[in-house]
Amino acid sequence: MKIAGYYTLPVARERAYDALQDPVLLAQCMPGCESLEPLGEDTYRMRMKMILASMNGLFEGKVKIAEPSKPEEFRLVVEGNGKIGFMKGDGLLRLSETDGGTDVHFEGDVTIGGTIAAVGNRLVDTTAKMMIRKFFERMTEKVRSEAATA
Amino acid sequence: MGTTLTETKTLVGQSVRRKEDPRLITGTATYVDDIQQPGMNYAAVVRSPHAAARIKGVDTKAARELPGVVAVFTGSDVAELGPVPCGASLPGLRVPYHHLLAQDRVYFVGHPVAVVVAHDRYIARDAAERVEVDYETVAAVTDSEKALAPGAPAVHPQWPDNLAFTFEQNGGDFAQAARDADVVVRQRITSQRLIPMALEPRGVVAEWRSGDKALTIYSSSQIPHLMRTLVAQILGIAENRLRVVAPEVGGGFGSKLNVYAEEALMGFVAMKTGKPVKWIESRRENFLATTHGRGHVDYLEIAAKKDGTILGLSLKLIQDLGAYHQLLTPAVPTLSVLMMPGLYRFRNIHATILGVFTNCVPTDAYRGAGRPEATHAIERIVDCLAAELKMDPAEIRFKNFVHNDEFPYLTATGLSYDSGNYAAPLEKALDLVSYSELRNQQAEARAAGRLMGIGIATYGEICAIGPSPATPAGGWESATVKIEPSGKVTVMSGVKVHGQGEETTFSQIVADELGVDMDDIVVLHGDTTLVQYGIGTFGSRATAIGGTALYFAVQDLKAKIKKFGAMMLNSDDVSFVGGRCVCNRSGKSVSLAEVAGASHRALALPPGTDPGLVATKFWEPPNFTFPFGAHIVVTEVDRETGGIKINRYVAVDDCGRIINPMIVAGQIHGGVAQGLGQALFEQAVYDESGQLVTGELTDYAVPKATMMPWIETGHTVTPSPVNPLGVKGVGEAGTIGCSPAVVNSVVDALSPLGVRHIDMPLTPEKIWTLIQGGAA
Repeated sequence: MKIAGYYTLPVARERAYDALQDPVLLAQCMPGCESLEPLGEDTYRMRMKMILASMNGLFEGKVKIAEPSKPEEFRLVVEGNGKIGFMKGDGLLRLSETDGGTDVHFEGDVTIGGTIAAVGNRLVDTTAKMMIRKFFERMTEKVRSEAATA
Repeated sequence: MGTTLTETKTLVGQSVRRKEDPRLITGTATYVDDIQQPGMNYAAVVRSPHAAARIKGVDTKAARELPGVVAVFTGSDVAELGPVPCGASLPGLRVPYHHLLAQDRVYFVGHPVAVVVAHDRYIARDAAERVEVDYETVAAVTDSEKALAPGAPAVHPQWPDNLAFTFEQNGGDFAQAARDADVVVRQRITSQRLIPMALEPRGVVAEWRSGDKALTIYSSSQIPHLMRTLVAQILGIAENRLRVVAPEVGGGFGSKLNVYAEEALMGFVAMKTGKPVKWIESRRENFLATTHGRGHVDYLEIAAKKDGTILGLSLKLIQDLGAYHQLLTPAVPTLSVLMMPGLYRFRNIHATILGVFTNCVPTDAYRGAGRPEATHAIERIVDCLAAELKMDPAEIRFKNFVHNDEFPYLTATGLSYDSGNYAAPLEKALDLVSYSELRNQQAEARAAGRLMGIGIATYGEICAIGPSPATPAGGWESATVKIEPSGKVTVMSGVKVHGQGEETTFSQIVADELGVDMDDIVVLHGDTTLVQYGIGTFGSRATAIGGTALYFAVQDLKAKIKKFGAMMLNSDDVSFVGGRCVCNRSGKSVSLAEVAGASHRALALPPGTDPGLVATKFWEPPNFTFPFGAHIVVTEVDRETGGIKINRYVAVDDCGRIINPMIVAGQIHGGVAQGLGQALFEQAVYDESGQLVTGELTDYAVPKATMMPWIETGHTVTPSPVNPLGVKGVGEAGTIGCSPAVVNSVVDALSPLGVRHIDMPLTPEKIWTLIQGGAA
C-alpha cells in the first residue's frame, strides 16, 4: 500500500530534521510506542502496541534511518512482528523550508501480513493515515513547547 | 422416524425423507471434534505469515517452556517423511517436494511451519504464538498471468518460468475451422479463485497404540480409503496398520477430496508422543490452508458460420495452481478441456493448458472441479457469438445440439456421451418462463429505460467419475450387503457420504430389492476397518457407481436367499418378492428374517452354499455418465446502484433416473447457491505481496439465505445406459449451470449499453461502473 502526504512542523528545517531522528521524541510521538532503544548506528529496537479494529497486539521490531542527507531528506525503514501479524514500512521523508516552519513530505510503501492482513485489510489504509496524523500532531506539540521554553 | 410405503409402489422415485437429517438437525451427529480420547493432547499449527520467504531459523524454546506444552515439531523433525501426495500425472509435470512442514522456505501465507502439542487447545494456541521463526522475505507472485511474465519472481527457484506443465488437447482441425468460418469471436473469460467453505472446517484426531503397532486417524474426509493408502506411505507404516475413520463430515465440496499435511502430521505426532492428539482447523486457517477452487483465465475463440453453426473452439487456459500440487490440482483443468465441446456437435477443438505456480494456497477440486469453469467459458462465448450474429441465444443452442439419434456420441475430445435429449430441458425451461412473452416484456422494459436481462445456459457434465483408466486411483466402487441373523440389513459402502443423502437413497434401492423396511437398513461408510475398500464421494459418482455396486451385491444376495428359501420350502421353484421367498407351486412362503436365521444357524445348507448372507461387489463402470440441463435466469439491474435482482430462476436438469426427487432438488438448490456465490459475490483475493485479504467471512461474501432467489426446478429423464439404475449424478449440476446463466442474463440486461462480457463476481460496483460508461 502506498502512502504519501505532508505535514508542516513549526520549526526551522535543521531542528525538524533532528527532531524526526531523536529516539526520545520519536518514542513519545509514535502512537502506541512503548519503547525505542538504540541498537546500533541509526537503528533502534521498537516495541509498539497496535490497535486495528477488534485486534490489538504488541509489535516488536526495528526502526532504521537510512540514507541520511541532512537537512534535506532521510529514509525511514520500520519492521515489526507480533502475534497478530507483521508490518513493514519504507518511506522517504523530504524536508523543505516554508513560511513558519518546515514541510515534511513523506512517500512510501506499507506492507502488512498475517492475521491483520486477512482480517483488517480494509482498515489498514485509514489506520495508517490516522497514525501518521497523530504522530505529526504530537511532534508539532513537542517541538512547539520546546520552542516556547527555549 | 418411520417410513411407510404402500405395497404397490417402489421406494425408488419417491421423495423419502432423509434418514440422516434427524441427527444433523438436532445436533447429535458425531463429527471429528466430538471425538474424545483419554489423555488426548491438542495441536496447533504455526503458519507462515509470508507468501515467500527463506526460513533462517525456528526457535521453539519459549513455546516449549510454557507449562502444559508437550512437544513442538518443526520441519527438520519431518524432513525424512514422505511428501503430501499429488495423485495426478501429466507428461512433464513438475512436482515440488511438498514436505509436511516447511523446510528452508515458505511458499504461501498459511504454509505450516511447526506444530505445537499441548494439554489443551488454548495452551497450544498460546504456545504457537511463542514459536519464533526468522524469515527473510523474498518477492512473491500471486497472479497467474503475471507469474508467466519474464522476470516474475520464481515461486520455486528451480523453475523460474513458474510453469508446472503445459497440456494440449486437440480434436479435428481448429485452424481449418477458423478459415472456413464466417465469423470468429474472441473473448477473455475468467473463473475467479473461490474458497470452498465447508460448514465444518477440517479436523483430525490421531491415536497410536504402540502395543498393536496400530494408528487410527479420524479425519473430516471425502476419501478415507485413499487417505489411508497415501498417509501410510507418507508415514512409512504398513497400510493394514492404519485405520482411517471419516465420521460425520460437515460438507466438503471437493476441499476434503484430498490428503493434507495435517492428516499425516497428526499421525506422526501421535506416534512420537504416544498419546492421542486432536487438531481442529479454525475458520481463518480454513481460508488460508484448505484448498481453493477455480482460478482460471481462459482465452477463447469460437469459429462459426453466419447461420450460427459452430465449427470449432479454441482455448488457452491459464490455471492458477498455487504453490504446490495437492491431490488433484493439475488434473482439474484437464477436466475443463475434456468438457469443451459442451452439448454441441462441432468437431474442431484446440486447447492448451498452462499450469502456473503462484505463491498462494493450492487450488484443487471445488464443486464441479473444472466443469463449471469450462461450462462458464463455453456458454459465455456462445452468447458472445449469438450477439455477434444477432441470433437468439436459445436458437443458436438448438441449432448446435448433438442430435438425439447420435448417441452414444463420440466427442472431438474423445468422450462417449452415453445418452441425451439436449433440446428437451431447454424447451422445458423456455416453456416454464414463457420465453417469447418474456422477450416482449423485455422489449417493453427497455423502451421504458429499464435494464432487464434474460440469460440462458445449457450444460453437459462428466459425472460418475469414472472408469478406472480415466482416474488417478481407480474409478470403481464397492459395496457389501449383509443380512444379519435377525434379518436386519447392513450396507457397507465404499463411498463416503457427507451430505448427499446416500444413506437414504441406498436404503431406497435396498428396500425395494429386498422388500424390507427402510428403517431396517443401516448404511455404514467412512471407516476403513468396517468397509472393504472404496474410492470416495466426489465427481457425482456415489450413486451412479457406489449405488450400482450395491445393486449388484444385492442381486448376488438375492440368488443366495432364493437357494435357502428353496431348501426351506422344499421346492425347486421359488420367487423372492416383498421380502418373502414364495414357492410358486404351493404358495407357501418364508420371510427374509427366517431365511437369515436359517442361513446363520446352518443346521442345513443348500447344496454348494456357504452359511451366512453376505455379498460384496466391486463394480467398474464402463463409461462416465453425462447429465445435462438448462438454466434460465431473469434479472433486472438497478441503474442507480448497479444492484442485480433475480426475478426468475429456472433450473431444468436431466440427471437420468431419479431415485429421490427431494434429494435431487436439494442438490440443485445447494449447487445453485454456490454457483450464485461465484457469479455474484465471492472472490478469493490475494494482494501483490501474497496476503489473502479476503481472509474472513466479513470480507468473503458467501451467499446467505436472504441472498437466494426462489428456484423453480424441473426435470427431464433420460436414463443412462451405463448402469442398471439408469442414474447419472446430480451433485454438481446446479453449480455448473448457474454462473453462465446469471452472467448471460446480466450481460443481456446491459447489452443496450454496449456491454458484451463481464467477469465474475458481478459486484454492484462493477456493474455501476459499466453503466456509467467505464470499464469494469
